[in-house]
Amino acid sequence: MLTRDLVRTAMNGLTRNISRSVLTTLGIMIGVGSVVLMISMGASFQKYILDQVSSFSGGIFEIHAKGLQEFGKETQSISTDDLDALSRLSTVESVAPVIFVAGKVRYGTEEITPSIFGSTKEIFSNFSLTVEHGRALTDGDIKGGQDVAVLGSKSAEDLFPSEDPLGKRITIGTRKFTVVGTLKSFGSPLMGSMDSLIYVPISVAKAMTGKVRYVDYISLQAKGDLSLAEADIKSLLRQRHRIDNPEDDPKKDDFIARSFAQATGVISTVTLSITIFLGLIAGISLVVGGIGIMNIMLVSVTERTKEIGLRKAVGAKRRDILIQFLIEAVSLTLLGGLIGIAGGGVFGFILARLAAKFLGSFPFSLTPGSILLSIGMAVGTGLVFGIYPALRAAKLHPIEALRAD
Amino acid sequence: MSNHDNKSAEAPGIAGGKSPSAPLIETINLYKSYFNEDLETPVLFDINLKIESGEFVAIMGPSGSGKSTLMHILGFLDVTTKGHYHFKGESTEEKVQDDLARIRAENISFVFQSFNLLPRTTVYDNVLLPLLYGTTPVHERRKRTLKAIESVGLADRTMFFSNQLSGGQQQRVAIARALVTEPEVIFADEPTGNLDSASGKHVMEILQNLNKEGHTIILVTHERTTAEHANRIIHIQDGRILTDEKGHTKRIASQVKQLK
Ligand SMILES: Nc1ncnc2c1ncn2[C@@H]1O[C@H](COP(=O)(O)OP(=O)(O)OP(=O)(O)O)[C@@H](O)[C@H]1O
Ligand SMILES: [Mg+2]
Repeated sequence: MLTRDLVRTAMNGLTRNISRSVLTTLGIMIGVGSVVLMISMGASFQKYILDQVSSFSGGIFEIHAKGLQEFGKETQSISTDDLDALSRLSTVESVAPVIFVAGKVRYGTEEITPSIFGSTKEIFSNFSLTVEHGRALTDGDIKGGQDVAVLGSKSAEDLFPSEDPLGKRITIGTRKFTVVGTLKSFGSPLMGSMDSLIYVPISVAKAMTGKVRYVDYISLQAKGDLSLAEADIKSLLRQRHRIDNPEDDPKKDDFIARSFAQATGVISTVTLSITIFLGLIAGISLVVGGIGIMNIMLVSVTERTKEIGLRKAVGAKRRDILIQFLIEAVSLTLLGGLIGIAGGGVFGFILARLAAKFLGSFPFSLTPGSILLSIGMAVGTGLVFGIYPALRAAKLHPIEALRAD
Repeated sequence: MSNHDNKSAEAPGIAGGKSPSAPLIETINLYKSYFNEDLETPVLFDINLKIESGEFVAIMGPSGSGKSTLMHILGFLDVTTKGHYHFKGESTEEKVQDDLARIRAENISFVFQSFNLLPRTTVYDNVLLPLLYGTTPVHERRKRTLKAIESVGLADRTMFFSNQLSGGQQQRVAIARALVTEPEVIFADEPTGNLDSASGKHVMEILQNLNKEGHTIILVTHERTTAEHANRIIHIQDGRILTDEKGHTKRIASQVKQLK
């Protein structure tokens, strides 16, 4: 039988009972719709996070000592001499060293325990920090060892719920600092912890912690190509730390150097697995829809037993019957799938708009790839759940089928 | 089922004698049993039959005697249990299902007692149906379908739906569907069984004309008047051929009546 005739025959079969065909596809619409919605939301979420991170991270590199993460303890990995050498690299634009200071911060009756970074003025550009009121740290603050602090927006709010922080004297540990500036919020829940940081001059941090020869963390701005900078930075540190590691095995290093591009790679992997997970859950509803298709196809085969017998009597081969019913099943799921894709897309778009209200901005993403994937899943569902009824139809004995009532 | 005398029936001598070329249909010691969960129901016994191309054969016999079963086997809708069936000189026992489907599509056609038209489908599409499964070139389909519809006198009903027709008209559609492939043999299982006498007569006239045009017609019927259109009557009883006679079908048919 010609493919054209098979398709036409299948379509006739479907249109002879339109209302049932449409109702049957409902399950598939919901199934494919939720798959599309989940994939789209997952991709939108990923895009949202990456947008947030990359606005913060273009060309930024971070280095920290291995095994560190503990505030207040000196790690003897990245020395101030390393720092000087790094800043002389031609592939490095600027270097912002950081010493972590541990301590409670108090103003009046308010008390918070934020992360306190002792750093230089470069940290402000590397972290994409914007001053809201007052000023950032200056070279003068560092050279002069001034007891001044710049507050992240969250810390400023917490310490000064009803006052203007500028010029006020806060206590960090036992030392008094004058607030010279506050920072703009990153405006995103994702970057919330960045908003509670407090910055003080690195010279003061050294005096407070006694970490004189080593720093805890370095933020570097690469000049030009990021991977060239990475190679330069690593080989310089290895050379200075006398580490023989031509195979670039991170286990052998006593430091961790990574770009934010790598961090975004990790984020992508995480959000992708979230997307797949959500998609699989949505896939369950597709399976339910598929079982509905199988059910209706079985009913249809039973109802049309006489028709099948007749087709066989006039020369239909088993294959002709099999393919006719498979096409019917796939047409149902494909139709349901297309409507589901449209519905899921529209719903996803509305959700993204709603999310944007709360998160400032939230992109909507529905890629041709995910549309193709959904179409593929719809067709696949039709094939998987259509094959059994179609086989039942194809195997019918012509005479027994004709005798059916 | 059958309430006739249990006569010992001999396999009759095959009418028509020997012919140099193979007959269209030939069965040799054909047996058929149905099996339902190990329960064997023997239906046909030792059927020996030759039908030449161009014959018009009526198969008569009491209800349950096996007429339909025989016709289904001859028409490749069912298979024998034992014995041989040669079609156009070719043995059919080792043919696979798809081969049988091809023969059904190209060489033979069926007309059933219950017309078996596709519901909610036009006359045109009903008649076209067998062409979809055969080898007729696409561009010839329309012409042949319309010609078949016209030859049963339903040209003005071409785009009617099957349920908008009378019983007689529906059976004529079924005949158009049977002849659209221009088959060598048309099997008709009580084609007039569900029709009033006028419609039945019309249907039989059409079949007779088809026979004159060269189609072999094999017909199952209960009615003597219907059998009279044939030029050979085979009488089956209890799954065996009781009589098989050619010519003078009026006389034979009335004898068959008396046998009952
Ligand atoms: N699938 C089946 N399983 C078991 N027995 C069957 C089956 N089909 C038919 N039979 C039996 O075979 C016998 C012959 O049936 P068949 O339909 O050939 O009779 P028939 O001569 O055509 O009768 P009628 O004139 O009533 O149509 C009957 O006794 C019937 O019960
Ligand atoms: Mg019968």
